[in-house]
Amino acid sequence: MKHINIAATEKSPRVTFDPKKYLFEMEGNSRPENVRDFFYPLIDNLKEYFDSIIYKANHKEDESIFNFNFKLEYFNSASAKFISDILVIVKNCHDNGIKIKINWYFEDGDEDMKEVGEDFSEMIAFPFNFIMVKR
Amino acid sequence: MKSYDVIINHKGNIDLAVIDSILLRLKNYIQDKQLDIVTRKRLYTLAVECLDNIYKHADNLEFHQDMFVEFPPRFIIEKIGEDYMIHTGNVIFEKNKEKITNKINKINSHDQNEINKLYKRALMHAEISDKGGAGLGLIVMARSTGQKIKYDFEKINDKFFYFAMQLTLKK
Repeated sequence: MKHINIAATEKSPRVTFDPKKYLFEMEGNSRPENVRDFFYPLIDNLKEYFDSIIYKANHKEDESIFNFNFKLEYFNSASAKFISDILVIVKNCHDNGIKIKINWYFEDGDEDMKEVGEDFSEMIAFPFNFIMVKR
Repeated sequence: MKSYDVIINHKGNIDLAVIDSILLRLKNYIQDKQLDIVTRKRLYTLAVECLDNIYKHADNLEFHQDMFVEFPPRFIIEKIGEDYMIHTGNVIFEKNKEKITNKINKINSHDQNEINKLYKRALMHAEISDKGGAGLGLIVMARSTGQKIKYDFEKINDKFFYFAMQLTLKK
């Protein structure tokens, strides 16, 4: 079971992946200098882990809900592509019987961030839980 | 008469350190002026995408120092009344002129609703280039401004053009 804990920088988000707590969380800004180096290992890890638990989910051995929290302030267009790749993996989990919840956080008044979340939700055909936060 | 202010005026090399320094100056401006959240994020988004484009797509001028001096990369943000104007400029190879023209013309032919659809489609099918770009920058610019992208090419010689772009972020 792989635990991921990447600290936030000015240009890259904090990422926590804690399978024991059924939690994936991404928070902060995302415009990494080398976007592929940042996201590829993360995506590989997620794919590998979820492929390994699909069997259990299909056989109802684990019915816990996996929470995916996106608490992003800003991300550039290249990061958007990778976030969409992560969401496709998440949707694939759902399609294979893993119970999931996608929580999309946005700051009060930040209609664009909410809209981007709505677009992602529509894109993967899975409803998001939108949470407005006041700063 | 409308008020006029130059927020950023950069002419010269654009590398990662320069991008960081420009974005920091922009962040300070945004905080000082206490812009509303939508304007502040759109302005920042446009700056990041424009600077990324210049950095990733400006054709290599290593062997053309004279041209670099005469036609330096350019990134300018002005405030005219309540609107922001962003001007960018960089040298491109003649062979890329048609590709850029077609891409912008295609985006400009769509209304906002269609641009949103185009963005979603592009997101699904985008591939990350060796330079780390997803090819989504221009669509994001059109989405963030809700305006047509203005552009022009100035011929430098048979091999090179100077590509100038102008974006308007209206209040």
